[in-house]
Formats: sequence, C-alpha cells, structure tokens
Amino acid sequence: MKLTIDRKAVTAKKDETVLQCALRHDISIPHLCTHSHLSPFGACRLCVVEIEDMPGYPTSCTTPAAEAMVVRTDTAALQNLRRNILALMMLEHPSACLICGRRDLCEEYRPVAEKAGRTTGCHTCNNKNVCEVRTLAEELGFCDLPIPPSYHHRPVDRSNPFIDRDLNLCILCGRCVRICKHQHGTATIDFVDRSSKTHISQAFDRSLLDAGCRFCGSCVDVCPTGTLADRYAKWYPKPDTITKSTCIFCEQACALKLEANKGELVTARAVNEDIPICVLGRFAIPEFLNSTDRLRMPYVRVGKVLRETQWKEALKTTAAKLKEFIGDGFMLVCDTTSTLEDRFVFKKFTRKVMKSKNYIEIEPNYRGISLSSLPKGTKAVLLTGKFVPSSQLNGLELLIVQDCFGTNVSQRADVVLPAAIFAEVNGTILDGSGQKRPLHKACDPPGQAKAEWWIISKLAQAMGAKGFAYRSAGAISKELGISKAKLWVKRDQAPEAAQDLERRRTFFRGHRICEKVFALRELPIRDSSVPSRAVSKRTDGFQILEKYEIAPNVHEIVIQAPNVAKKAQPGQFVIVMVDEKSERVPFTLCDWDAEKGTITLIVLEVGQSSRKLVLLEAGDRIDHMVGPLGIPLEIKQYGTVVLTGGCYGIGAILRIAAALREAGNHVIVIVEGRSHYKHYYKEKLETVCDELIQTTIDGSLGIRGHAVDVVGQKLKDGEKIDCVVAVGCLFMMMLTTRETKPYGVKTLVALNPIMLDGTGMCGACRVTVDKEMKFACVDGPFFDAHLVDWDELRDRRVAYSAEEIHLVGRTESVAPYPGHGDNCRCLR
Amino acid sequence: MKHILSQHLGKRSSLIPFLQDIQKEFGYLSTKAIDELSRSTDISANEIYGVATFYTQFRFSPPGEHTVRVCQGTACHVRRGRQILNEVEQQLKIKAGQTTEDRKFDLERVACLGCCALAPVVVVDDKVHARMTAKKISSVLSQYKGRQTRKK
Ligand code: SF4
Ligand code: SF4
Ligand code: SF4
Ligand code: FES
Ligand code: FES
Repeated sequence: MKLTIDRKAVTAKKDETVLQCALRHDISIPHLCTHSHLSPFGACRLCVVEIEDMPGYPTSCTTPAAEAMVVRTDTAALQNLRRNILALMMLEHPSACLICGRRDLCEEYRPVAEKAGRTTGCHTCNNKNVCEVRTLAEELGFCDLPIPPSYHHRPVDRSNPFIDRDLNLCILCGRCVRICKHQHGTATIDFVDRSSKTHISQAFDRSLLDAGCRFCGSCVDVCPTGTLADRYAKWYPKPDTITKSTCIFCEQACALKLEANKGELVTARAVNEDIPICVLGRFAIPEFLNSTDRLRMPYVRVGKVLRETQWKEALKTTAAKLKEFIGDGFMLVCDTTSTLEDRFVFKKFTRKVMKSKNYIEIEPNYRGISLSSLPKGTKAVLLTGKFVPSSQLNGLELLIVQDCFGTNVSQRADVVLPAAIFAEVNGTILDGSGQKRPLHKACDPPGQAKAEWWIISKLAQAMGAKGFAYRSAGAISKELGISKAKLWVKRDQAPEAAQDLERRRTFFRGHRICEKVFALRELPIRDSSVPSRAVSKRTDGFQILEKYEIAPNVHEIVIQAPNVAKKAQPGQFVIVMVDEKSERVPFTLCDWDAEKGTITLIVLEVGQSSRKLVLLEAGDRIDHMVGPLGIPLEIKQYGTVVLTGGCYGIGAILRIAAALREAGNHVIVIVEGRSHYKHYYKEKLETVCDELIQTTIDGSLGIRGHAVDVVGQKLKDGEKIDCVVAVGCLFMMMLTTRETKPYGVKTLVALNPIMLDGTGMCGACRVTVDKEMKFACVDGPFFDAHLVDWDELRDRRVAYSAEEIHLVGRTESVAPYPGHGDNCRCLR
Repeated sequence: MKHILSQHLGKRSSLIPFLQDIQKEFGYLSTKAIDELSRSTDISANEIYGVATFYTQFRFSPPGEHTVRVCQGTACHVRRGRQILNEVEQQLKIKAGQTTEDRKFDLERVACLGCCALAPVVVVDDKVHARMTAKKISSVLSQYKGRQTRKK
C-alpha cells in the first residue's frame, strides 16, 4: 500500500495502522495509550491526525493505513488540539512541575527525585527519569490549565509485595489492564467504577495477591506514569548500563534485561516483553544479589574465630591445608547453578589436583533444593553452597565453603571464600531442554567476591598445579569447545511459575530466597488463614495524640512531650528516634502548648525515617526524643519582616510569625505550594501576621510562582523590608538568598543538614558560614543566608542517599508468611 | 446460581445478561456469585467486577428494605431538590448510593422520574411523595420505619 504522510511517500505493510506506519518511517506522532505490545485502544486521543476525505481528527493508532491516503500529522490545528488534550489529562495529575518556570535550576539542585510517600510533582516522582508524560509535555509545549487541577487524595497502596501503586498519578491510559490480559489471558486489574471515580483496581478491592496477581511486573513496565512502581527499584537513579543475560533461578533460563547503576543491579526484566517471566526473575534478583548477607571477603579460621583476610593469604592457607587431604578423602560438592565453565574447573581440580573421584554435581529439585550427603570416609569437603545439613559435618577434618551467603555451615568452616554469582559473572549454563544459554556480567560482585572458576583455578595454582592459568571464563569455554550460546528469547510459552506463583523456586544453592528477598514471604504457597502480624504496642516513649495528613504527603503530628513543650521557643527543633534502631532526625517545632504538654510537628514523608514516623497512628508511641534544641530566633524589633515558608516550612513559621508580631514587627507571611491542594494552615497563619500571601506554581491559588517571586517583586517595587526569614527545603532557601542578596536585605535561613547527636559532638551537621565551620545543631538552625556555602550543604545532604534508597523499600510492614519459620513450607 | 449459570453457559453472550439474572435472583452481586461466575466463564473476577461497576444498575451489597429515590432532575432541581436530598442524607445518616446500617433504607439520586409537575418528588419503593419540603421528610420516612414490606 502506498500512501502519503506529511508529504512523504511511504508504503504500509498489511494490517498496519497509520501510527505504526508513520513511526516505522521515522515520522513521530505523539501517542500515549498505545504500546508496541498491545492492540490499539484509542483512549488518550493524543495521536490524532488529519486525513484527506475523512471528517474530523481520527486517531492514528486505530485507523488502518489504506491505499492512497493523504495524512498530515503536524498542522498547527493538530498541535493545538494535542496540547489541549494533554492539559485536560493533567487536570487530574500533579502537573505543577511541568509548567514551573524554574525547572532547570530545580533539576540542577535536585537531580534525583525525592523519595516521597505520595507524589505531588515530578520532583518527588519515581518516574521522573523515564516519564512519557514529561517528554510529551516538552514536545508539545505544555500550556496553562484551563481550571485548577484536582487531586483525588487516594491512599497510596503499598500493601502488596513488590508493587507500589499511587493512583493519584493515573491517567487511565489502560495499558496496565491490557498488558495483564495479554500476558495472562484474563486480567488481575481492571477499570473499576465509572466517570470521575474510575480507577484501576481488583474485584471488591481485594489485594493484588488475593485477586490472582502473578507479580510478573508487566503492568509496572508499561505504565507511562509513576502510578505503578517497582518498590525496590523506584528510587534508584537512571540505570547506566543495560546487559542481557540469563536467569539461573530455575531451568527455564529466561532471557533477562539487567539494568545497573554504578555497578549495582537495579532491575531485571524480560527481554521478550510479550511473554511474562516469574516473580523471581522480575523482582527478586537485584534484592537477592544486593543483600547485606552476601559474603564480601575471604575468611580464615584462627582458633575459634573466622578472621577476615585478603585473597592472597586465604588461597595460601587453603592450599596448604588441602595438600594434606589429597585422595578420595576429599570431596567437592556443587550444583548446576554454577556455570559449565565453573563446573569444568571444579571437576578438573577434584580429579587432577586432589586426585579424588568424589566430584558431586547436584541437580536442584523443582523447589530449587539441592541436598547431598557425605560418603563415609570423607575427611575434607569443599562446598559451593549450603548443600549438606550442618549436622552431618561433625566428623570432618577440613571444611571449605565457597559461597555467596554466610550460613550456619560457613560459620563452622575453616575457610570461607566469597563467590560472585548470577548477574555478576560471565559463563554458560544449560536450560531444561539441554540448550546452552549465556550469562553476561551485568553488575559488580559485592566486596572482593570472585567468580567461582577464578577461585578454584587460583587455588590449584597455589597448590602448584599446571593447566589452570585461565584469564577469563571465555578461555575456559574455548577449552571446553562451547560455541556461542544464545539467549532464550523466542519461546512459545511462559514459564509455569509466571502463570502460577506456587510453582516458583524457593531455594538457591541451599539458601532460602525469601530470607534475602523479604516480600517473597508474603506470597503463597497459599493459605487463606494468614494471621495478621502481631504488633507489640509499646507503653513507654512519647505518645502520639493526633495525626492527620493535612496536605498530600504532609503530616501534622501532635505528641505528648511536656518537658519539651515547657521550654520550647520559636525556631527550635527536636530530634526524634522513631524506634530503637532508627536514624535520629531533626524536626522543627511547629507549635506547642505548655499547659497541655503537647508539641506539634509537621512531617513530610521523604525517606526511611520520616516514613517510619508517618506510618504510626494516634495512640502509638515513638521511642525517643530530645529537645528543644538549637538557638531560638532572636525576637526583637526589626521593622518589617517577611517570612517565607514552603512544604513543612508553612507550618514551621507559625510560632515565629506570632512572636515577631508580638514584638511589634510588621509581619508579612508568604507561603508557597506546587498547587492549591498543597496549602494548609491558612486560617492559623492569618491570625499571626499582618499580611498573608499564598503562591502556587501552577497558579491555581493566589499568586503564580514561588514565594521568592513575591519577595523579589516587593523589593523591586521599593517596599521597605528589614529582614527576610526563609524556612523550607534547601532549594527554596537558596532561591530566597539569591533574590535578596543584590538588595542587601538581612536574610535568615533555618538550615536542615543531617544531624546525629544534636549537641555539637559528632560534626554531622557541619555547615560552612562565612568560611567558618559551624554546627547547625548548636550554632543554628538560623544563619545569615548570604554567608552560607550552599553547594557544600547540598552535597552533604545527599551523602547517604544510596544507603537510603536501599532501605526505603524494606521499611514497609510486610507480614511474613507464617510458614517460613522452622518448618517452612517452601521445603515441601 | 447453578441454574443461572447453566442457562447462559455455552452462549458466548456478553456478561451483562448474566449479571442481571444474578442480581434479579439474589438482589445484589455478592463476592461469592462473582467468583463462581468467574470460575465457570474463565473471565477473572476482576474483569467481571470492572464491567459490573461500570453500570449503575448493579449493586454489591444486600439491598435495604425500602428504596428512597430523590429526584435531581431539572424541575426538581429548580425547586430545591438538592436541599431535599441533603435532608434525607442527614436523617438517614448515609450518602446517596449507600444503605443504612440497619438495612432499612437505600438512598438513590435519580435524574428524572417523569412527574415534574409534582416537583420536588421523593419516591419510596413505588409510592410517589409529591411537593416535598425538608419538613415533610421525617414524617414520610417514619411511615416506613416500622413496616416490613419486602420489596421485589
Ligand atoms: S508521572 Fe511523575 S514524572 Fe511524570 S509528569 Fe507525572 S509527576 Fe511528573
Ligand atoms: S504483575 Fe502481572 S499479573 Fe500482576 S497485575 Fe501486573 S500484569 Fe497482572
Ligand atoms: S496505572 Fe499506569 S498504565 Fe495503568 S491506566 Fe494508570 S497510568 Fe495507565
Ligand atoms: S495513542 Fe492513539 S488514542 Fe492513545
Ligand atoms: S548533630 Fe552532631 S554536632 Fe550537630
């Protein structure tokens, strides 16, 4: 078929739509609801085009290409129409960041999205790096919204294993529903309810698990927004490498696309997006490999203790010990999750160097369990996993464990050698049908862990053996005569475990996978009577009296703390430890009542510790609190004082404003929020200032812009301002500083660096002010903004973000499946 | 239930008639009914629920004894139909679309009942109460509070 698109003559294939044909010829047409793996849906209408002799604007994704068609994709009318369609879509989506005038500066200061509980804009959205909506908005030029946007205030659903769902971001494109149906025949999720209440859910709002979800993650992968997210991966920065490799959890050997960031594995997905992979392949691999239980260093036993050591010494010691056991008293046990190359070296080592016939290779059973027993007369054993129950090890004279995780078996070993596995190594494995499948290294092994062939070859060499000088896994493949193995991409059927959760493997080399990947404990081996987790309520500590989410992701918490309330002064803060193991985090005292003995904090959920705090409810208790800390703001007669606040700062300036006004100042309060629904405390603030100005980035309430824009305007107009006090995020305070500097207006900011003790001892809260080192906890929190070294402060604040990303996926109260205790039913 | 299933199975008809029959029989679509339907049709309960929630005619909890319909059509609207609805909501302590805790009343808002001359109207079961005022509501409702007339 020949047709014309944008004056270009093109040929369409049979059954092709106009959109497909155009895309194939590098003619871009914006589209959203359509997806290369799904049949057309025609819901978003962004792909509209003009076609001669057809009325109106047909959607190109649903219009079949036809002979002699004349299509236009880029007329001004179309662009305008698409912009309007996008604007309509953005009426129910947090869209302020898309029209913000300071996007570039924000990107520079906040390169990584903040780990917010709820997303109220791109800069707190897990999808920021890859968002299709953002790209569209950039391409089309996003315009103002015709009316203020609405926010649905839907609860963020984090009750399912692996998948987080924030329906407040959903644009109802239906991709998730369609892919689920495509992958499994009938869908786990669907549109529920009608008109403005339509949302993605399951029958009777059951959990995903109860609704029959297989956790294949396909819906997460196709969602164009941040609505559906992989809980573990969501806060990692954009991956810098993508490698294709093979899954070795089971003999299905699915082809995987592995994404890593700075050598750390972040996500695993199916290479062939048309066929689902099982929950282990999609969700378990990064958490499994990045587990803190991994062995990172070699250990050698010295008397009763295992002492950490370097490879050189470990190999030397092991070689010396092994020399005493040459002969059939030595045994090496491995299983088929080691690569062919590894196993070749194991066998060669056992036969040639140790001169033993006891080389044992176990085929794991359908649960992944590999168990072996020791033949009589075995004196020395090298295990590459937990293959032998620790009770059988009693009579041994030498035990060498080369493994990926520490266990009660490695605890008893004479030497422990850390092994690199899975996505950390190159090599070849066999799938269930005997075909060779390749492993390609996609990420770095933890610490000093090494590939298994490397360890055993080095060991052989240390024992003086010849023929083990391999430089790479490839060299061994050559010796073995393995020709290039191919990924198993084109398969006709999904692996069984992708259609039935209960068929998944539960062990890897003797290690229970659910011990490393916690959310797996929630999955069946199904049992309807999962008891809810008993939470022991504490009776000491500080009780929370009231807790409300007063704006999306902003929580007002009233705590019983009479001693703090008695002494508190404006601008001071407390340091809170939610439980005995949590981080110590400073929170500004927003309000207090000395008589009732209560204090009020405004807490944003932006990381692990604040999440722990906001997950508590009225009646619960927090472990520990110190305060009031910090030097209160100096309350005196300044003249006209402008207070600016954003996010938690809106609440934090309440008492400061009141005190300053009482001292006879003319107090102007300017508070900012991304959209109208991010504002709170209007009535309270009105009573403590002479003028209250609210601003929003999208102009849906008050003045459009940031708070600092109003300050700038006032200064430009020559209004007399004697002092500016800014409380909010680092970005907002920095912006204020820039604006007031040329006018020489005294500007104070409440700095919020990472703190530990809060008493001037640890130095964690160091800031540089006027080239001098200050401690924010005892010298601050207020500093002269024009003297602060902002760049240093920014860098220090993100110092632990990598660690935090790791933790944040795990703080969720994931109820363990009761069977995974002593008589875990994974064993069946 | 079995009888309904056997009537429709084999016919690749759409779900709607199925659901209508179930609702007619049991008065609502229970989790049990939908799960059973799912098993015999190979369509997941989620999809069935998705379809069913799209239509106002289906309900998912047992119906109340009496259905109170408050008209919000144009004629009733100009005659303060909204106020009437508010009043009923307050008295029954539920919102439109819900059922009282004691399962005595269902409350529905409807677009037009075709008796605009009588606006504003409230219809309880099949009886039309014309020219309602906020004051009259409690007496109308109390007529039904004691009565045990199972509606069909
Ligand atoms: S999905 Fe997230 S990143 Fe994309 S536009 Fe919405 S808020 Fe921004
Ligand atoms: S994870 Fe897979 S089975 Fe579960 S809802 Fe998403 S697409 Fe469906
Ligand atoms: S959850 Fe994502 S994929 Fe599903 S309808 Fe919403 S935006 Fe689309
Ligand atoms: S892409 Fe065509 S209507 Fe959405
Ligand atoms: S928090 Fe340790 S010195 Fe300030």
